[in-house]
Amino acid sequence: MIVKELTAALSSADRTDPPALGGRKLLRLAGRTWPFIRPMLLHVVTLLVAGAASGLFMAVLFVVAADVFFNKVLVGDKLQPVQAVLLGLDETYVADLLEDAGLDSSDEADQRDDRQAALSPEQRKTVRDRLVIWFAIGAVVVLGGLATLPYYGTWVRHQINQSLRVAMIGRAERLSLKYHSHARVGDAVFRVYQDSAMIVNLVEEVLVGPLVMLYTLVTGLLFIAFFSPSMALACIAGAVPMVWLTLRFTPRIRRRAAANRRANSDLTSRLQEAFTALKVVKANRAEGRILNRFDRDSHRALDAAYYFRLEMVLLSALVMGLGGFFIIATEYALVSWVLDQKETFLGALVAAFIGFTVWNIGAFNVARDRIEETVHTGFALVRVWCMIQDFFIGLERAFFLLDLEPDIVDVAEPATFPAPIRRVACHDVHFAYNTDAPVLRGIDLVADAGTITAVVGGTGAGKSTLMSLLLRLYDPDRGRVTFNDEDIRQLRVDDIRANTAIALQKNVLFAASVADNIGYASADAKREDIEAAATVACASEFISAMKNGFDTELGERGGKLSTGQRQRLSIARAIVRDTPVLILDEPTASLDANTESQLLRNLAEWGAERVIFLITHRLSTIRNAHQIAFLEEGRIVELGSHDGLMARPHGRYRAFVEAETTGAAA
Amino acid sequence: MSEADAVPGASAEQPGAETLSRKEKRRLRLRFDDRIDTQTAISSAETVVLAGRCVKLLAQAKGLFAAKFLLAFGLIWPGLLLPWVAKIVTDNVLLERPIGDTEVRFPPFMNPIIAFIDGMAPMEVMLFFAVMYGFLLLLMGTRAGGTGAELFAGADAATQSENRISAGGSEAGGIWGIAEFMVNVRLTQRLANALRTRLFERLSRLPMTTLDDKRIGDSIYRVLYDTPVVPEICYLLTLNPFFILLGGAINLYLIDYSYSHVAPELIWVAWCAFPAAFITTFPASALVRRTNQAKRAAGAATTNAMEETLDNVYAVQSLGGMKRETERFAQRSRESFLRERFALAVGILLLVLVLIAMVAAAIYITIVISDNIIDDVMSPGDFFVLFGMYYGIVETAVGIGSFWIKLQDPVAAVRRVFFFLDHSSDDDHCVGAAIGKIERGFTLDNVAFAYPDGRQALDKVNVDLPMGELVAIVGPTGSGKTTLAYLLPAFLRPTAGRIAVDGRSLADLDVNSLREQIAYVFQEHLLLSESIRDNLRLAKVDATDAEIERALAAAACLDFVRALPNGVDTVLGQSGDTLSVGQQQRLCIARGLIRNTPVLILDEPTAALDPSTENDLVRALRASAKGRLVVVIAHRLSTIRHADRIVFLDGGRVRDVGDHDTLMANADGPYRRFVELQGSSA
Repeated sequence: MIVKELTAALSSADRTDPPALGGRKLLRLAGRTWPFIRPMLLHVVTLLVAGAASGLFMAVLFVVAADVFFNKVLVGDKLQPVQAVLLGLDETYVADLLEDAGLDSSDEADQRDDRQAALSPEQRKTVRDRLVIWFAIGAVVVLGGLATLPYYGTWVRHQINQSLRVAMIGRAERLSLKYHSHARVGDAVFRVYQDSAMIVNLVEEVLVGPLVMLYTLVTGLLFIAFFSPSMALACIAGAVPMVWLTLRFTPRIRRRAAANRRANSDLTSRLQEAFTALKVVKANRAEGRILNRFDRDSHRALDAAYYFRLEMVLLSALVMGLGGFFIIATEYALVSWVLDQKETFLGALVAAFIGFTVWNIGAFNVARDRIEETVHTGFALVRVWCMIQDFFIGLERAFFLLDLEPDIVDVAEPATFPAPIRRVACHDVHFAYNTDAPVLRGIDLVADAGTITAVVGGTGAGKSTLMSLLLRLYDPDRGRVTFNDEDIRQLRVDDIRANTAIALQKNVLFAASVADNIGYASADAKREDIEAAATVACASEFISAMKNGFDTELGERGGKLSTGQRQRLSIARAIVRDTPVLILDEPTASLDANTESQLLRNLAEWGAERVIFLITHRLSTIRNAHQIAFLEEGRIVELGSHDGLMARPHGRYRAFVEAETTGAAA
Repeated sequence: MSEADAVPGASAEQPGAETLSRKEKRRLRLRFDDRIDTQTAISSAETVVLAGRCVKLLAQAKGLFAAKFLLAFGLIWPGLLLPWVAKIVTDNVLLERPIGDTEVRFPPFMNPIIAFIDGMAPMEVMLFFAVMYGFLLLLMGTRAGGTGAELFAGADAATQSENRISAGGSEAGGIWGIAEFMVNVRLTQRLANALRTRLFERLSRLPMTTLDDKRIGDSIYRVLYDTPVVPEICYLLTLNPFFILLGGAINLYLIDYSYSHVAPELIWVAWCAFPAAFITTFPASALVRRTNQAKRAAGAATTNAMEETLDNVYAVQSLGGMKRETERFAQRSRESFLRERFALAVGILLLVLVLIAMVAAAIYITIVISDNIIDDVMSPGDFFVLFGMYYGIVETAVGIGSFWIKLQDPVAAVRRVFFFLDHSSDDDHCVGAAIGKIERGFTLDNVAFAYPDGRQALDKVNVDLPMGELVAIVGPTGSGKTTLAYLLPAFLRPTAGRIAVDGRSLADLDVNSLREQIAYVFQEHLLLSESIRDNLRLAKVDATDAEIERALAAAACLDFVRALPNGVDTVLGQSGDTLSVGQQQRLCIARGLIRNTPVLILDEPTAALDPSTENDLVRALRASAKGRLVVVIAHRLSTIRHADRIVFLDGGRVRDVGDHDTLMANADGPYRRFVELQGSSA
């Protein structure tokens, strides 16, 4: 298994160009995060400072405490004056300064004359007890920091991630429907969730972390050079193949990282789509097939994660192999230098402080530890480098969504919305979803306030599309849609939608209560308004028959209601908004005749002074309209009243009506 | 400035309080989004049972588990060897002392090496060790470090789940490290995948009544983000205790072997950390479960909000609900992050408690040892040895003592998984006898159906649905037509009465064998974002091109499908949005027809069709009704009129049965009144 998978990893068939991540692009991506990080900047800085300060505090505490404990308590040396003050002890504990000048290093401890310098056992115990008190205080501080800093850090990260998530969802909701008709819901979910989360790592892990590592690396090298410049040069030479390997692997890692995110996003989409279509799956006994597809996508996602990481692990194993040999070789060299008592490079300079003039066991330990630390920092840098590749690919996916411009945007200085609305009109409107398949080809239509316009035609004639243009869900490719002669492109999108209510053909209900669903699009609707709208839509009867009436919770997508009931809720939702323009898309398709005629009567009464559009197939509905626009292949082929159109001997509308009344030939 | 250009983050800061009703907010706070899984608290005993069920999953990955065990076991030994080698390098190479000079006894496993290097010159010894190091480096990455491929993650459970499944890692490097990494990743992946596939399968088989309450985002969360904890539980119960105890035992042995003079009370004090860790954390176990449960429920609620708004983006935009939806999402996401921090705070609190206990013990031990040193009973050098040993034991003891508390966080997640694995599903009805080809038809005998919330949808329904007929179910909206149709494929089960197919009770039949023979076309037009061909093949996996064409033709789809740039290979957009609703409906009908099943049920097939298309379809249906049962739910007279039998429902009861002419002949018949009303309004 192992050999097969390794071969698979190395002979990756994917020869596509790796995702480009040039320096400019990285900077741009990092810069794009600024608006999200800026509000939290103070906290980010506080967090970094607090982290550094607590690290420093611990280090100082350790050095001071270690000296007091080992040299004073365990060995019996006298205290430094400052130490005595800190521990609240008198001068009998303090070493004679003149005698002990510069002799506080443990290396010289054995040189000291223990006649006066030693503490008595009782004094040592007192020092120990005082130290324990300090230690306890230190522990409280450290534990306090340990308890608060991670929580604080998480809070900061959550705030940053929250604002990015919300911005992404806000943008996704405003993107044109053209985008959404080709995008997968699961993909957006993955971007908003998984890709956006990368941002929390930007400051600490991507910017500060590697900088600290680089600093460690450089100081480590300088320190080694201090003992032996040739060793430091060897270190640098040893780094060359590591850097080369890393650069060599980088495109592959980027490719794999992008593939990993794509595969996991696909899996999310697969799940979302499968769960949305579960009813159909059940009806068609397709559970097994859906499961197979899920299993396939699941394995694809797991493999993508696996091979991406395998690539990372292979790179680090190679780099670590090289570095490991370097450590072993230098250690061997150091041992021989110690045995030869070779002179250190600059050891003589500090001979007054430390005995490192020649290679001895102390110098050996220090130098070896430094070399190991430096090489290990190199390893860590390589690993972080790999993680950063994935980080930027995730960030890029997140900002891809934010960078998409909605097609429908307000003009710089939108006109004020005309009130009252007297007339809605289309002038030579053309529109296509795909350029090669025009949906609307030159629509001219005028609808006045106080009239009902029925839009009639075969399926796919463009009726619903025409209505979406009135809402400015799309802009026409050619021609104009006007409200009172004002081109709606000059109006604010929010104003248009605030003044135009639509009951959709697909009765979209949300998993909320009945009242919340009716009041969905009108934030300030009062309960009386909601109940009144339900009455107009002939919905109050079945709503009050439900156990909790208007507070009844609806299931996912309103699944607990019959289609006719859902239809009436959608209509009520449109009515409650009390807008001058109302569009009803197939309002009565699933209603029985009784309910339908009641509903239409209510609507006619309610709709005086409004512009109402009806899309319908039903004759009984059409008849109530003041004018009928008969659509065929994106054009209005006939326009007029029912009687006027029926009077045309070979009219298209007349044929349509006759098909309905005669029904299928037996 | 347009709304779309609004400063990011600004919307997050603005309270969405006005647009969210108080009630909605309270619901959000109290039980997030769950309608089905509302009792989330579990007892300690149930925790043990759940953990045990997770461990059983290991049976699916025996080979990998054994490999992981052996690889981890092999890694212990070089770790024992290296400190002694370092000691020899210092004492016997650098300081050039003869071997065996000191009082400390080498452990027995060092004997071969000692024997080998005895008498060598220092640089020869060093060369030997360098070669040995080199060998260990290649094999295990000794002195270089371990492997691991953790990626950056976010600050919430969902984004951390990918690392949980796939990060892998090993304390070794080199060949061993790569192998252990591979085994580790594949093992965690296999365990998580086993569980998530089972959950997916189970969710796809939930009964129809449950489905209405099942939130899609929640399902995504459970499948993708709750299942990844299962490897952790498996390890917590198997490998972790084994290796902790093994390490502890080795440590004790070495102490005894090399430092047998050490005061034994030290060891016993160290072991006190075990009950201390257990006792301090045990009372908090329910709290850990609860906070982790809540953080996952809140995460699922966020996913719901996201999924719902994106899936219905057409409605959201045309109703002008963007701002409201963004606020709703912001609210849930904020709540979810808050719950993440609650869980984190509890975790931190427990950690601090354990640390306080450990610090107190460390202070005590320090005082004991330093007293001994000051009184010249021990030498200063002994301090490090003793303290190191003490901590070795404490680590083991705390590891065992905190085992229970560590289990609580992942158990909270798997409870959410097992809840649906244990939920009743259609599978429970797959046990009965399979039914052969339906010959005679359905008989409903006094059937009643009430929804779980008490609504009585059907009552005392007695009707025959024989093969060979086109049956129309007619009635006002809300009269129970769809409920009646759902009973036939056993999407719903009657709450009283009996349904028989070919004389055999539906309750005793294998539900799969029944649904195999029924095609159901729903009112909603649910298409997948795949090609038209694949959408049809969902119903019949091996459908030929000719069959696809026939079905498309019968459902009057051929014209518009041919007009599409890629014909049947056109990939549909999100929920089929690139097609008009009428076209989607016809594709759904084609999908129903393609299986060519003995029973075909169409729920309002013609609602969105224009009259001439409808006429064509009804004609096709009549033709296909010969030799099978076609059930149509319809409002339109033009469709109903051609049925062999009309079942007229009102208020959940059958009011009239017969063909159009017979029913119309009855002057006071309820059906006739219904039809006349329709005529008068038309």
